[in-house]
Amino acid sequence: MTNQKQENTFDAIVVGSGISGGWAAKELTQGGLKTLVLERGRNVTHIVDYPTAWKNPWDFKYRSHLTNKELEERPIQSSHCDAGNKHFFVKDSEHPYVQVKPYKWIRGYQVGGRSLTWGRQSYRFSQMDFEANKNDGHGVDWPIRYNDLAKWYDYVEDYVGISGSSESLSQLPDGVFLPPIPMNAIEQHLKETVIREYSDRVVINGRVANLTQPKKGRGPCQYRNLCSRGCPFGGYFSSNSSTLLDAQETGNLTMRADSIVKEVIYDDLQKKAIGVVIIDAITKEEIRYYAKVIFLNASTIATTAILLNSTSPSFPNGLGNTSGQLGHNLMDHVVNEGAFGTYEGLKDKYYEGKSPGTIYIPRFQNLKNETKDVDFIRGYGIQGKGHRENWQSKATSGIGVGLKEQLATPGEWKISLGGRGETLPNYDNKISLDNENKDQWGLPLVKVDFEYGPNELAMMEHMTKSSEEMLRKAGFKNVGSYRTSPAPGSAVHEMGTARMGKDPKTSVLNKHNQMHDVKNVFITDGSCMTSSGSQNPSLTYMAITARACQFALKQYFSN
Amino acid sequence: MNRRKALGGILGFTGVGLASFGGYKYFLGDLNKNKEEIKVYFDVISELIDVIIPTTAASPGAKSAGVQDYIIYYMEDCSSKKEYHNFLNGLKDLQEHCLDAYGRNFENCTIDQKIEQVENLDNNSSSNSLFTKIRNKLLGRSFFNIIKTLTIEGYCTSSIGATKHLTYLPVPGRYKAITELSPNQKSWATK
Repeated sequence: MTNQKQENTFDAIVVGSGISGGWAAKELTQGGLKTLVLERGRNVTHIVDYPTAWKNPWDFKYRSHLTNKELEERPIQSSHCDAGNKHFFVKDSEHPYVQVKPYKWIRGYQVGGRSLTWGRQSYRFSQMDFEANKNDGHGVDWPIRYNDLAKWYDYVEDYVGISGSSESLSQLPDGVFLPPIPMNAIEQHLKETVIREYSDRVVINGRVANLTQPKKGRGPCQYRNLCSRGCPFGGYFSSNSSTLLDAQETGNLTMRADSIVKEVIYDDLQKKAIGVVIIDAITKEEIRYYAKVIFLNASTIATTAILLNSTSPSFPNGLGNTSGQLGHNLMDHVVNEGAFGTYEGLKDKYYEGKSPGTIYIPRFQNLKNETKDVDFIRGYGIQGKGHRENWQSKATSGIGVGLKEQLATPGEWKISLGGRGETLPNYDNKISLDNENKDQWGLPLVKVDFEYGPNELAMMEHMTKSSEEMLRKAGFKNVGSYRTSPAPGSAVHEMGTARMGKDPKTSVLNKHNQMHDVKNVFITDGSCMTSSGSQNPSLTYMAITARACQFALKQYFSN
Repeated sequence: MNRRKALGGILGFTGVGLASFGGYKYFLGDLNKNKEEIKVYFDVISELIDVIIPTTAASPGAKSAGVQDYIIYYMEDCSSKKEYHNFLNGLKDLQEHCLDAYGRNFENCTIDQKIEQVENLDNNSSSNSLFTKIRNKLLGRSFFNIIKTLTIEGYCTSSIGATKHLTYLPVPGRYKAITELSPNQKSWATK
């Protein structure tokens, strides 16, 4: 037993290897800590394990389609994957969860997690976002402000490589950018029209973690727009291509894949966490690992599920849950499927290469008193993409030679816009454990109970209408929108459930992302979020993780 | 012919209410026990897609591109029950039509006869009417809609279609966001 304990003892344990776990691994190993990274899914080695990266469309027996068998195994994930990247999404049949109300929990159980398939949109939160809860009274106040995070945003952006343009917008701070991915003719047209027609908003180059210039042996982006298959050029940021490789290089990293963390072990005498219990996903054997510092980066819902399952005499309702807030205030971004339109002009323009980026219309609602929107509080940003119709999007008529000609000719310009809006923290939106129903490893199923409130629904309607209005003003024809909004979870931006806050009575984590109750447990994935902002959140997780790691290292070496 | 009448009858009921819904499910049920039967129609499908996308001076057609294989695979493993049902019955109807009209199977018809048959199918599947929308919702896409969509998709994602009829650039290497469209420049095969 003593022997096993020595073998299984590290300075730090990081649970999860996705976008925030990769950062924790890099920072802690570079800081000199022998670090064990536990990943519940299989190993994925950069480049080697991207089996579809070089496939042509005709190399897929069913082209992009999933078979009926694959659909049956993936009733939830199938809306977010296709034949080219399905291996980076879980089979729902193997990893069930309970939906009290419809909620899509999109997951990627493998080394690298969802950093392999993320949308790569990278935006800073602003001072306004960190003050939102305080100002309107929803949720609790963030214990940090923009200035606490600014230099950490600089630090991670410089490492990750974010292409973007500086715009001097207070609601969307500029960062350390590589040259932006330029706009095509129709996107440029929309930008110019919006400047002319509106005084409250602008269209900017989307800020994406695709390398427009090479960085540390990665990239540059080859403009294949096949990112979610894994990039053999390292053209975009993932844990696999970057942070985990640098962590490996230090010699301080031990990576253990196929390791499902069952619980965090709390020692009532020492009043701290001393390690974790894992279940080997293949052998189902239980193993204990020990460390002085534990970072939980298993993803928003999964991290909180581990804590809820970590009960002890001191914490009968889940580790660090004296506030009773653990599992509550689940958030996701409101999305609409978007507005679209076609444009009859610019027929002499085309493009070469496939942009992995988008255009972005930063939040323009409720910024100043005079532009306060009466229907809802807070706001949304809009992502968009323009292209010329090809066979995939073009309406054709007839058969034979005429049809062939239509297929070979670039069609009309088309643009689509989709909003991403802030969800208010709400105690009733929550996750819990279903102890009646267990998975194949004997762990209770996660139960998700979430629905949009009136503020989110009003925002959804507004983003659809405003998108349509912009397209009409820009001279688009056939303007329309899908009014069927996707189920919550579809943005794959789940946040909250172990929020940061100033008061241990109403929050789970302090300003250093330590658990108020258990100071050697740090949580820096999406579950730490106190509010959701309207920006795609991964960049903020990365900055928060780097900041918390620096604090943890200082604590470690001063103790 | 009986199948078409049956379909018409069901559509008639739908105007009245959803009472027929259970009946229509029953109607589909026993026809979809397995999807083996589609293979029998390999030759018909091969000829049909080659009328929709024929070989021209510009490029080889759908049959040369092997789209028939893709359609069979799709029908066997990806199609919904409704799609499979409508597709198989569409093929059967087509054969019946050809036997009625020309005394031979579709695959043995002259090219003019084949074109006439496919154009009839095209004309009968008018796409935007309310009737069509309701029909699609309840009974799935029409036979011609399915075969045309799959032919276009299969062809444009085939090696021949993507590289010879369209322009396929697997590793662009750079992004020129705004270019001048050159005369006769072909559409990109992928987005």
